[in-house]
Amino acid sequence: MSILKEISENLQKGKAKIVKQLVQQAIDEGIPVHQILDEGLLSGMGVVGEKFKRNEVFVPEVLVAARAMNMGTQLLKPLLAEAGVKATGKVCIGTVKGDLHDIGKNLVKMMMEGKGLEVIDLGTDVAPETFVETAKNEGCQIICCSALLTTTMGVMEEVVQKAVEAGIRDNVKIMVGGAPVTEAFAQKIGADRYTSDAASAADCAVELCSA
Amino acid sequence: MAVVKVNGKPIEAPAGSLLSDILPENSIETPCGGRGSCGKCRVIAYGMLSKPSLEELACLTAQELSEGLRLACCTRIEGDCAVTLKAAGESWIKMDNELPELELHPAFTRYGAAVDVGTTTLAACLYGADGERLAQAGGPNPQRSWGADVISRVEAALKGEGPALARSVREGIGELLCELSHKAGIGPELIDQVVITGNTVMLYLLTGTGPDSLARAPFMADRLFGEELAAAELSLPCIHGTVYLPRCISAFVGGDITTALVYSGICNGAGTKLLADVGTNGEMALWHKGRLTCCSTAAGPAFEGAGLSMGLPGKEGAVDHAWVKDGSIVAHVLGEREPIGICGSGVVDALACLLELGILDNSGFLEEDPFMIAPPVCLTQQDIRMVQLAKSAVSAGIRTLIHRAGITCREIDELAVAGGFGSYLDVGNAGKLGLLPEELVQKVRVIGNAALSGASMLLLNRDLRKYSESLAAQAETVDLSTDKFFMEAYTEGMLF
Repeated sequence: MSILKEISENLQKGKAKIVKQLVQQAIDEGIPVHQILDEGLLSGMGVVGEKFKRNEVFVPEVLVAARAMNMGTQLLKPLLAEAGVKATGKVCIGTVKGDLHDIGKNLVKMMMEGKGLEVIDLGTDVAPETFVETAKNEGCQIICCSALLTTTMGVMEEVVQKAVEAGIRDNVKIMVGGAPVTEAFAQKIGADRYTSDAASAADCAVELCSA
Repeated sequence: MAVVKVNGKPIEAPAGSLLSDILPENSIETPCGGRGSCGKCRVIAYGMLSKPSLEELACLTAQELSEGLRLACCTRIEGDCAVTLKAAGESWIKMDNELPELELHPAFTRYGAAVDVGTTTLAACLYGADGERLAQAGGPNPQRSWGADVISRVEAALKGEGPALARSVREGIGELLCELSHKAGIGPELIDQVVITGNTVMLYLLTGTGPDSLARAPFMADRLFGEELAAAELSLPCIHGTVYLPRCISAFVGGDITTALVYSGICNGAGTKLLADVGTNGEMALWHKGRLTCCSTAAGPAFEGAGLSMGLPGKEGAVDHAWVKDGSIVAHVLGEREPIGICGSGVVDALACLLELGILDNSGFLEEDPFMIAPPVCLTQQDIRMVQLAKSAVSAGIRTLIHRAGITCREIDELAVAGGFGSYLDVGNAGKLGLLPEELVQKVRVIGNAALSGASMLLLNRDLRKYSESLAAQAETVDLSTDKFFMEAYTEGMLF
């Protein structure tokens, strides 16, 4: 088995320590860093994402796989910067003001990182202004908002409005998600995309960034 | 046109029509085709109705008729009337427990009632001045048409539906009080005190309090009750009576937990004891060294039979227990009939069987999806995922309270499990699934609808009110959504 395939398979099983060792070994063997990232780490996380979409694996497996991926990317990060490899895109993400539930948001973040996107995590209870300012200052292509409560999802509309007011709406796509959110709601508030699960959200973000 | 109130919801119907023709689809069963021979379409009905038919006299005992039982396929509407869709023997949830010995010092002079307003169901009982329980009654919470969970009701109230939500639950409680007094042969106006317990959102909606503070972080309730109102203010049929609403602990730990704590007795003495109420929301409380900490988790309705592909409340036709015999699953069905769905206790057993047979692995992956439990009743992969979220929320909540007190499961003397679902739960299987921490299984005491029993105690001994209020006031609520330990326990706890 090639070492990249080994990295991918160990990542899928959540074996963080082994993944870290293998990534170091691949670097030492002189395999190009972007290839380690794409064919090792991201390919493994892609498999986990697909399985999650099909309900074959669940939240705990995604979390341990993401932890293993992080161990690998930590080694790669400085080398990627040195080699001038850029992320596929840049996203800022958070749960909207008044909402403290962040498991879903964390899953989306991990899946997005698993697709090679750079993700700025704004945490929970994030004010609409913070989303917009971060997108503006950091040059994010996407703002990604999450809400778990029907009573807080209305804040997403304010995020869209603030983006318009700040004059960045044409440059930034807004993605929304969370248990009570629907496609119709996303359209009503003028968001760009709604996705129903974390893996689809990551696919959608990649698509938006490469468009 | 006559107005027929069905579980508190008014329906217009032409006089002369049969109850079975106007009741919502699937609300009753008529396997005999409405010929009055099978007795399956029993409902509780009173008001302007036809006299019992010969078929009804053959099917129903004098006792049942006196309790207001009728056959929907034989009873004609002659004017305004009210129907409760819960035939005798259909609901299998234990409604009220035997109360512990308590000094009788009632808060009422003639008759008193205790009511538990659950998000999903209402339950009530009636007492006489000598402390004897005269009747009990229950039914669905008519607010259900606004959504199954508390947040969707809060949302509806914020959108201006508050008055309609208040009216709906008040009518539901009113019907129960009428049913109770009818069963006891008294007039509802003779009830002079009602103790109404419920979670914080339910009490807000009942009293028409604006629930803005319950809708978003930081979730600081601006009204905690522990107060007495005139029954007329809530448009209840006991027009001269008063209503006592027990004190809530916080936005998501309500008066129902306060009364459940009173009934459970876990706060009596120096021991270290836990209470867990497993419903749509799981609430837990820990009594340790004279301090009370509690928390609430959104378990979701999986254990109340809702949300699963073939989920059913605990009633006839529901698989309520299952076990492995000679390598395959054997299921018991409530009412000893053809299975039509599965209820919370059945789900717990079924999952334990699937794990034992290796059909379900510890990650929650189901080998055969869907898997037949008792044809046509099956469980799907999606169902398993819902149960994983629910059971993990409950056990992680319990573990977080224990962790924050700086103790371990070994130091817990008792875990009191409350809630309708708890009464039928196989505690050993709950431990195997990780719904309850396995180390605590030997220490479980099942206490049924403790919220209602506690409300009855506050009714029968008014001195307990002060005690319950101080208990609620001193309790500390842990916010789980920002608790790191909880998040870890929650994700780990999803595995089997």
